[in-house]
Amino acid sequence: MHGAEQVTRFTGGTHYVLDEELAKIVNITMALEMPLLLKGEPGTGKTMLAYAIAESLKMPLIVLNVKSSMKLIDALYQYDTLTRLNDSRFGDSSRDVSKIEDYIKMGKIGQAFVSDERTVLLIDEIDKADTDFQDDMLDVLDQMEFDILEIDKTMRAQQRPVIIITSNAKKDLSDPFLGRCNFHHIAFPDPDLMREIVQVHFPDVSQELLDAAVNAFYRLREFKEMEKKPATRELINWIRALNADPDFRVKELTKGDIPFLGVLFKKSPDYALAQRYVSRSRL
Amino acid sequence: MFTEFFYILRKVGVPVSPTSFLRLQKALSKGLINSVDDFYTSARAILIKSERYFDLFDQVFAHHFKGVELTAPTGVDLAEAAKALLDAWLKDPQAIADALGIDEDSLSKLTPEELIDYFLERLKEQTEAHHGGSKWIGTGGTSPVGHSGYHPGGMRVGGRSMNKSAVKVAMDRRYRDYSQEGLLTRQHMGEALKRLRNMVPTGPKDQVNIDETIYQTMKNAGEIEIVFDRRLKDRLKVILAIDNGGWSMDPYIDVVQSLFDYSRSQFKDLKTYFFHNTIYDYVWEDPPRRSKPFQVDEFVRMDPETRFIIVGDASMAPYEIMATDGSIHIEERSGKPSVERLRLLADTFRHSAWLNPKLSVEWPYTRTINVVREVFPMFEISLDGLEKMVTHVMSRN
Repeated sequence: MHGAEQVTRFTGGTHYVLDEELAKIVNITMALEMPLLLKGEPGTGKTMLAYAIAESLKMPLIVLNVKSSMKLIDALYQYDTLTRLNDSRFGDSSRDVSKIEDYIKMGKIGQAFVSDERTVLLIDEIDKADTDFQDDMLDVLDQMEFDILEIDKTMRAQQRPVIIITSNAKKDLSDPFLGRCNFHHIAFPDPDLMREIVQVHFPDVSQELLDAAVNAFYRLREFKEMEKKPATRELINWIRALNADPDFRVKELTKGDIPFLGVLFKKSPDYALAQRYVSRSRL
Repeated sequence: MFTEFFYILRKVGVPVSPTSFLRLQKALSKGLINSVDDFYTSARAILIKSERYFDLFDQVFAHHFKGVELTAPTGVDLAEAAKALLDAWLKDPQAIADALGIDEDSLSKLTPEELIDYFLERLKEQTEAHHGGSKWIGTGGTSPVGHSGYHPGGMRVGGRSMNKSAVKVAMDRRYRDYSQEGLLTRQHMGEALKRLRNMVPTGPKDQVNIDETIYQTMKNAGEIEIVFDRRLKDRLKVILAIDNGGWSMDPYIDVVQSLFDYSRSQFKDLKTYFFHNTIYDYVWEDPPRRSKPFQVDEFVRMDPETRFIIVGDASMAPYEIMATDGSIHIEERSGKPSVERLRLLADTFRHSAWLNPKLSVEWPYTRTINVVREVFPMFEISLDGLEKMVTHVMSRN
């Protein structure tokens, strides 16, 4: 094990409450130099984790937002033919038209590879892409190198990036893919942890509001037949909304009144259902 | 080290690969793991690749390091089942009373606690009496409790492991909720269906056609002429109608489920409907076939280019398909025999197919299969059959 890695131990960020289990997993993943695949309900902080790691280890963060139409090559590099064509016609740039390398632009994975310092590479929502993309990408990340066909050059990673991959999918990713990752499922936080999380985001929130909001939140999560239950992200936004409203009194919450339901429930059937539940509980 | 642990995991059906086990050894030899807690978290992150197996892992871990017995249905599971029963009872006492064969009135006098106890007793009796028989606490079927049943506790919350030893955490079995017997996605299925796509240029012209650009530029004596194209997008519309009723389809739930899972992730424009045995006036958008009926006549208004794929064993009593008012559901009285409905669908969608989970060698022996085959081209759900089905529905004519 390198000395440098001993120092780079991850303990949590300023805006991220880390449970110890996850911290261990992140550390062991970094030591084993493997990608970490995170699954969990939307809004439980999968993406935030990568930000927190980058922040606490002071590494630059490179985010690759996966889109369904994305091809692997887009994530690696791009050969800018048009600029080259333009330069060859007008010749007013400092680039050398006969040198194709000048027209190769690095994609997100490419950037992480050529970077001189170790980076955190976040590959967000991998499940959006098709399986071919996923498997091919893992090959690249496994080998830590890829070829640029146009200039017949192999790019090697200078520093092995810390790779975090997130997935919302209910279904499993392909076996070869899973075989190359470490895996963690972020469970939904319990009320105590949730209080901590809220406090990290709102350091000066009053205890009264905190308790009332978290209680109400967990009560709302228990509503049956919701398509999408509110998650941490919704709670944070909701408290922000409550704070911003000058007319809001904490007492309303304890009475069973829930303002700004729309912040918590974003699908219209859920919203209607929640409203019905709330008005019923108030009676 | 821990080879035995590895093999127990394999034995209980957790897919752990030797590679990942070696990786765990690497972590151990690097001195990254210094306590049982460390071992628990690391082993889980490295070996287990799906939250579905977290619960099994917890059980095996507790078994191996603490000697906790590995059992199938535990008291806790029964308690959960009883809770589910209670909940169902509150919603619809009549149905539960009927299902359990008890008098509704005598139950309604009990307090919730007594009721739970009562259910627990019943459940225990049942698990003892019916091991693997035609149990009424089972998956699917008419049973009020079971895997697909409703879970009163909601998703169990994992919480933190700070003040607990790993063994205790493992004994807690925090991940039970994720473990509901999942099905493996069939990799081949994806391979076979991959060709089901219809790439059509859509959207704004925003993609540079490089070859054409260079050609036009040359023609223009070097004056740059950029040519744009529309992007190619998959515009294939697929309707999947699934027979999810009755006992006859039960053996195939597995394979149909993975087909359904796969298609849901693969096709942008996929509609799924459900029916029982065959199609009459309505199909349903919800799997229990209760709340969201969809009139078959409405299909006529849909894009005829839609690929209409029916999944079912097409095995039923002949009158169900041939006779007017053939439905076994008394409330479905349409005045038209089902076979006419099927013909309507086949005429509406020229690219249609019937997928049958039964092996094709068995088809000639079921009369209704032959009837259906006259209307829809039928393919079996196998690698080969799917391949043929794709070729058929993608053909131009």
